[in-house]
Amino acid sequence: MNVLQASGLGKRYGGTWALRECSLTIPAGHVVALVGPNGAGKSTLLNLAVGLAAPSAGRVTVLGGWPAGSPAALDGIAFVAQDAPLYKNLSAADMLHLTRNLNRRFDQASAEARLVELGIPLKQKAGRLSGGQQTQLALTLALARRPRLLVLDEPMAMLDPLARHDFMATVMTAVADDGVSVLLSSHVIAELERVADYLILMSRGRVQVAGEIEGLLASHRILTGPAAEADKCSQRPVVHVRRALAQAHLLVRATAEDPVPPGWEAHPLGLEELALAYLREPGAAALPGPAHSRNAEPSEVTK
Amino acid sequence: MTAPRALTAPASPQEDASVRPLPWRRMAWVTWRQHRFALTGVAALLGALVLCLWIVGLQVHHAYAAATACHPASSIACEQLIGSFNGTGHFLATGYVLQAVPALIGAFVGAPVLARELETGTFRYAWTQGFGGWRWTLAKLVTLAVLVAASAGALSVLLSWYYHPYFQPYFAGNSMSLTTESSPLVGGLFDLRGVAFAAWTLAAFAIGGLAGMLIRRVVPAILATLAAYTGLAFAAGLYLRQHYLTALVTSKLNVPGSAWIVSQRWLTKGGQRISQSALSHVLQQGGPELAGKGGVPKSLSSWQYLVQHGYTQWTTYQPAGRFWTFQWIEGGWLLALSALLIALTVWLVRRRGGLKPIRPT
Amino acid sequence: MTIDKGFRPAASPVEFRLDAASGVPTYLQLVHQVEHALRLGYLKPGDQLPKVRDVVASLAINPNTVLKAYRELETKGLTAGRPGQGTFIQATLNQVALPELTALRRSLLRWLTAADAAGLDEDGSVALFTSALRDFHERRVGSRDRGGAQSGETKDVA
Repeated sequence: MNVLQASGLGKRYGGTWALRECSLTIPAGHVVALVGPNGAGKSTLLNLAVGLAAPSAGRVTVLGGWPAGSPAALDGIAFVAQDAPLYKNLSAADMLHLTRNLNRRFDQASAEARLVELGIPLKQKAGRLSGGQQTQLALTLALARRPRLLVLDEPMAMLDPLARHDFMATVMTAVADDGVSVLLSSHVIAELERVADYLILMSRGRVQVAGEIEGLLASHRILTGPAAEADKCSQRPVVHVRRALAQAHLLVRATAEDPVPPGWEAHPLGLEELALAYLREPGAAALPGPAHSRNAEPSEVTK
Repeated sequence: MTAPRALTAPASPQEDASVRPLPWRRMAWVTWRQHRFALTGVAALLGALVLCLWIVGLQVHHAYAAATACHPASSIACEQLIGSFNGTGHFLATGYVLQAVPALIGAFVGAPVLARELETGTFRYAWTQGFGGWRWTLAKLVTLAVLVAASAGALSVLLSWYYHPYFQPYFAGNSMSLTTESSPLVGGLFDLRGVAFAAWTLAAFAIGGLAGMLIRRVVPAILATLAAYTGLAFAAGLYLRQHYLTALVTSKLNVPGSAWIVSQRWLTKGGQRISQSALSHVLQQGGPELAGKGGVPKSLSSWQYLVQHGYTQWTTYQPAGRFWTFQWIEGGWLLALSALLIALTVWLVRRRGGLKPIRPT
Repeated sequence: MTIDKGFRPAASPVEFRLDAASGVPTYLQLVHQVEHALRLGYLKPGDQLPKVRDVVASLAINPNTVLKAYRELETKGLTAGRPGQGTFIQATLNQVALPELTALRRSLLRWLTAADAAGLDEDGSVALFTSALRDFHERRVGSRDRGGAQSGETKDVA
């Protein structure tokens, strides 16, 4: 089952396109990191996926083909928006009651137990909780709905390191226990490497990279060698070049089995380096499938 | 992490979606819990009004009974009773003060429904729950609309009782008369009675709901609702209401006092309109025959003088007997308007979701 | 506000840690920590490794990472999974006692000092050690093979 499928999806606000020609197929059972700079269209994509906005072009379906925003989609998707919106003057118990009323499935017992574990008093008004507690409360409400897909929009932006750790621990435990798929957006890549196994990289309203992280990292290499040879050394497509006077680093799409040009060294790379390189090359893309052959060959750009 | 958790696996949406959607009654507690502050405020306001109207209304009825029962009507003592009736509760006599009630209820209950969600961002929570956004909006708006309209309707029963003496026939002493025999159709009193009061409250609420959706912030939405409502109320009272049924026109001078006079004009013998200043000129020329007053002739003798000289007065009016017809007409179009506004609000939620039609950062 | 509140009897003798900045993939860190624990005697055959859920809850990592590490250990023959129960140690690595380890470490440091005095830099030391290790293993494997064929062989053992 695909938790999200978008074809030609676009969203226009007034005259500007916040998202264009977005085609994605995200399989279930993954923790998907949606990464990109501010204004890349991450929130737009998430809002379209959860039904808070209607597409201007194309379509998006979720959870195996249900239109985004339809009752079946709303049932199976839990969304925690940025800043974890809660009704500030309602108590935690009221929020539980509210969420229970508005949903088909709600695990009241485990939600209450979880709040006790977190040390959040049920009678406390949500507005009086700390930022970390509010986020945990919002997450508890979302998980108690037993969703198939959990969507998180920059969930950790306002949290201190301990709260961030606890938040991700909760999410990962839910993945381990229930097999829920997660789609979370962030502009901090370093934190995501531990938790995500699927990457979607967005820039300027378009999807640049989409795929399993393991596969992406296995299919890219950094070649380091003489700057003078940088333009002609590699047989494989070059994504990004960083050049100094004597030395250059090339990010190429090659695996560990591919031969290394003589005089050059090959290194594996990490997620952050990969993401930054693609973000610096707006024309480059690493997308699965023949439908994106237009973007499949990245341009070679010299500095 | 040690607490035992329910081990049910997430059910597949395919199974659930084929079942009926979530029952509407789930929204009852939600609506109450989120709007209990506004609703209790309305209840308090109405309660205070009821108390006030009850107390003053008893005085008014009492004074009326005393004044009309007094004989002879031209004696000093009876004139004093007439005066005391005229003075009792006279701040409510024209009814304009109470016009504010539907506006306030509509603005303070209707506008925050959507404006507060959009302003605080909680729509991102509320409209991604299983119940969905547009159904949530529809349930809330309809529930609250019914509540405010019903409360207003109940109040208007009391208002009808309160204003009852003011519609009674003309009663005069020597130099004073009771301020009665108002037309039930006159603006200020018409929309406090019958179904109009409830209908106006409903319309104000519906305007508030739409304003909240379009303006997305609570205080500006409330202000916009008050402004729009005021405009609509004035337009209805000044321009629309008189055209609900074709007005009657008569040249008789003794139009019943309970009729609502829409316009009056004098015509010359040849059918030309004549202004008041020209009329008073004519009357001045006939000075010795009249009671000696310049300006607009008030006494019957002035009018008779004009009639004798070939002038006719045409009065366009609506008879008091049309009160209930007018009530249903006004109630009808207000109900239709409210339904349209609420439907439009729900449609906007369904179509646009919660996002502004401009690019988010 | 921590989620590891109060008493929780750990089912496993060991607990994992994560060095996010080390550059070593997470799953490999877990594998190494299990092997290291086996070597030092923290883990013995029959001990249970931490449940995936518990690892995830305390380290906030993807469950697939833990599963990958546990699969790797199974491939290496060190562990076996029992369905519904967990993952258990089933073999040992050669255990070296701590005093022996300390003595080996000291002699290694002496070697490194001598290499440094001879002018060998770090990369040179690594290259030298790697090639010596390769030689050692080749000879070891060779002698095992030759030993295994001894009974049927007429050639002399070198």
